[in-house]
Amino acid sequence: MRQFIIRRTCYSIITLLILSLTIFSVVRLTGDPVTLMAEPGARAEDLARVRTQWGLDHSWPVQYAHFVQNILAGNLGISFNYRMPVSELYFERLPNSLQLALAATLLSFLIGIPAGLLSAVRVDGAWDQAGKVVALLGLSIPGFWLGLVLILVFSVYLEWLPTGGKNDWRNLVMPSLALGWYFAASLLRLTRSSMLEVMRSEYIKLARLKGLPGYVVIAKHGFKNALVPVLTLAGVNLVVMVNAAVIIEVVFAWPGIGRLLFEGIFQRDFPLVQGVVVLAGIMIVFVNLLIDILYAYIDPRIRLTR
Amino acid sequence: MEHNSRRSAIALTRRDMLAGGAAMLAQLPALGATSAGAAPIGAMTLAWHTAMAPRWLDPQEHDGTATPDNFLMALHDALIKNSGTTLFDHPALAERYEFAKDAKSATFWLREGIKFHNGEPVTPEDVKFSYESYRGALASVFKAKTEAVDIVDRRTIRFHFKEPFLDFLLLFGSSNVTGAGWVVPAKYYQQVGPDGFKRKPIGAGPYKLASQQAGIKLEFEAFEHYYRPVHIKHFTMLAVPEAATRVAMLERGEADLVYGVPGELIDRVKKNTKLMLAPVLSGSFWLELVGFQDPKSPFHDKRVRQAISLAVDRAAINEAEAAGLGKISGNWINNDVQYGLEWPELEHNLDKARQLMREAGHPNGFTVDWLTPLAPFYARGERLVSQLQAIGIRAKLQVMERGVFLQRTQTGKQQWPGVQIIMHGARIGGTWSNWYESFFKCGGFNAADRLCVAELDAKNARYQASIDHAERKQLAEDIQRTILENHYLVPVFRHAFMCGIGPRIAAQKWQDVWPTITTGYAYPWEDIKLKG
Repeated sequence: MRQFIIRRTCYSIITLLILSLTIFSVVRLTGDPVTLMAEPGARAEDLARVRTQWGLDHSWPVQYAHFVQNILAGNLGISFNYRMPVSELYFERLPNSLQLALAATLLSFLIGIPAGLLSAVRVDGAWDQAGKVVALLGLSIPGFWLGLVLILVFSVYLEWLPTGGKNDWRNLVMPSLALGWYFAASLLRLTRSSMLEVMRSEYIKLARLKGLPGYVVIAKHGFKNALVPVLTLAGVNLVVMVNAAVIIEVVFAWPGIGRLLFEGIFQRDFPLVQGVVVLAGIMIVFVNLLIDILYAYIDPRIRLTR
Repeated sequence: MEHNSRRSAIALTRRDMLAGGAAMLAQLPALGATSAGAAPIGAMTLAWHTAMAPRWLDPQEHDGTATPDNFLMALHDALIKNSGTTLFDHPALAERYEFAKDAKSATFWLREGIKFHNGEPVTPEDVKFSYESYRGALASVFKAKTEAVDIVDRRTIRFHFKEPFLDFLLLFGSSNVTGAGWVVPAKYYQQVGPDGFKRKPIGAGPYKLASQQAGIKLEFEAFEHYYRPVHIKHFTMLAVPEAATRVAMLERGEADLVYGVPGELIDRVKKNTKLMLAPVLSGSFWLELVGFQDPKSPFHDKRVRQAISLAVDRAAINEAEAAGLGKISGNWINNDVQYGLEWPELEHNLDKARQLMREAGHPNGFTVDWLTPLAPFYARGERLVSQLQAIGIRAKLQVMERGVFLQRTQTGKQQWPGVQIIMHGARIGGTWSNWYESFFKCGGFNAADRLCVAELDAKNARYQASIDHAERKQLAEDIQRTILENHYLVPVFRHAFMCGIGPRIAAQKWQDVWPTITTGYAYPWEDIKLKG
């Protein structure tokens, strides 16, 4: 088990190194950020001054060495645009993103799991067909479109909810619905397929043969086991929602990390984009590592075969 | 409608300056009018169109763009500034100034009793510190030309220059060009450092910062000791990047002012009787015919250049791109800068254009490899491609991302091979020469060697060396006239930055809220009132 943990941790570190190199290179491929920090007509000496100030006059390898060195020291750099430490910006926005992601996750659970369960139990029936339509719509309706429609209906016409920003719980309703809708659809599909698979297994048949009532078979034996992959997906979804709810946060002017990333990309704010991506990467790698270890702990075959 | 009024004469003679100083004194409202007048009431929210960077709250690091002044005008104050129809020398912290005849010194007299938001008085020491430690746009120019800054007495400060610095006031007072004239509290700034200052800036402007969520929200409160009346007590600037959301906020009353209403939502705002659309004139757009000075270029022939100008349907572009609310300017340089020349509207005449093409030996037109518009104004590029087709000029549209475009325009002819047209757009403050030096001069930052007219560059050199105001004005106008008469550049139009005003704001017309002609923003903030 110890060896397994060490091996998986090494893989995680290598993954993060590759991620850091990839994001470092990719942001630089987009061009010179200094041209976006000035208006057309800016003087050459002003641009040169800015380039030197941010160390962009160094070669890429030197810049990368500084970047990695800083990360190891816990420093994600200073944002070009904000002139603030990236970590400070990130952690300032994190509670907002967590709040939105948790609300969206809750909504996706409330919609996706019961609907998926119902679809699986009433397979090919009306509930299943309705579930398929909901899943299809959830996965195909673009978030920005849904967001704008929600604003138009609930904010502009009905005047029930505020349009954007973050003041009280009412501001959370539309963005969490718009964000959770997509994930509800994916949870619905996974719950349905997972449940169908479990319901075909031998122990379910045995439970039925034993004469257990249908709801007990479904709830106690079927649903409980079908929930494992669903919860795994929900965990990863949560991390994605925290870090990459870009469109929804922009549409609803929600002050989260996704919007921070959007602004960073838009402004070619290298430290900001690098920092957000690396921190999101760390979160995802950490969650995956934890899941791997838990799986290996529960099922010894995993640690022996991998 | 647009702002037509502008200062008729901007030649800075000593007599003018003294007269200006007297006029400034006459404009002064009573000191402490805020406390003496009605107390500020209510709240106003501005929906800003991008993220709000804390660096814009520090005039010491002004990036030379037209963005920070939206924030500086609320939080800070300058000795003189652009405000209303005054281009650069509206009295602010200085109640008057004097500019020496030989352009080698400038003296400013501070108002009596002015304070920073922390209660400390604004002193000449603060002015000296702010100027000497300024490190933003054009800092190198100010440093190279300034010999010393002397504190004459407790309200008087004098700047001495190594050589005549005729553009000093223009640059010093243009808040969308530099931040050198803006005053920060020296003691506090040194105590908290630049980073600390950006988090909790203290200024001497009409509003003090109550709280800041970096990039998201700025909350201000009226500064009771400001030297002019401030009418609204709470002022919030909220970053709302999505245009449709901003307009919805305006409709719902969650925002009172919004910037950047896109074309597809203009009608929605116009049709709503509770709202008011503010088509604020902004940057100018023009065509550069790359390498026209090369005899091998089809653009070398003046008749071809004129034909291109005649083929551009400016009214149609203005209608389609700005709901007809932009300005079909005859000049490629804005008229809100010193010596910016007014030029009559340019003709659209396809028959004449075709005739000129025939006379120039291109009866069937010719092929342009690429027409490249400034990003993200691709639709304007499409329209131009289509309009040029009417006289046989077959061009393909080349789309570049904004940063790439800006970088490419710094390169020379070799990087723009073949037959190419560039559609530029810019808003540069201060003086016409900032436009010429950047976009036309041979070797200019955004012109490189793509345009080289030795005769005009020689005139420009004379302009730069001259300290004779009349001569400078004449040279500036000569150069602009030559460019326009010879169609060296082809003006397209001046576009409108569409904004919206909500029902709670007191305004008869949009200019009541956007009175300043040198900006797209709604300052002076202290002048905005709520209804009732």
